[in-house]
Amino acid sequence: MEKTLEILNALERDGLLVRYAIGGAMAATFYVEPVLTFDLDVFVILPQAAGLLLTLAPLYDALRARGYTEEGECVNIEGVPVQFLPAHNALLEEALAEARETSYGATATRVLRAEHLAAIAVQTGRDKDRERVRLLLEQAPLDGEYLRAVLARHNLEARWKQWTS
Amino acid sequence: MEAVDKLKPEIARLIAAKEQRRHKLAALSFPEKVRIVVQLQRMVAPVLRARGRPARVWRLTGD
Repeated sequence: MEKTLEILNALERDGLLVRYAIGGAMAATFYVEPVLTFDLDVFVILPQAAGLLLTLAPLYDALRARGYTEEGECVNIEGVPVQFLPAHNALLEEALAEARETSYGATATRVLRAEHLAAIAVQTGRDKDRERVRLLLEQAPLDGEYLRAVLARHNLEARWKQWTS
Repeated sequence: MEAVDKLKPEIARLIAAKEQRRHKLAALSFPEKVRIVVQLQRMVAPVLRARGRPARVWRLTGD
């Protein structure tokens, strides 16, 4: 996966991404026991294209030019299917802005904060997200005050209470 | 009933050991956890494929 992350860093350096951070099951795995997944969810802020239209097309074109092929919703980058998910709401934008800087081997990368992963799971609201919240509560080093503030800012307190009481 | 009661301490010990192992797994480094995820993929992929669901095991390079 290190080479995959090197490519993501190169895309950011080249301006094809404004910013990226690992999310989804792999980000959860960063904080808790390994969670089965078959793709790497990468949240991205894209550069604003002409006409204010946000599109993944230039990113996909650049990856194709580097020899990486699309597989369904993902692009296979160095053996790892990567799904690019543009930050489409305020919670995701905040999560990306405050993502944790870390490294994988010798390669720098970013992972969403555990508190944001929990809030995103609550916002998404599927059964597997509920299970993710349970796992994060059980094993991740969550900052309670920070989490409460995130939930309040994004109007997620009611479902949080419902899920965790 | 008595047999069940005798089993309880043993079951409690097994559950505690399982819990301890999960916390040990959570404390591993990120690359070690990714290697475990790939092992899980190898285990699960044939089952998913047999059910007609596509499942590609990651081919890690440079790790």
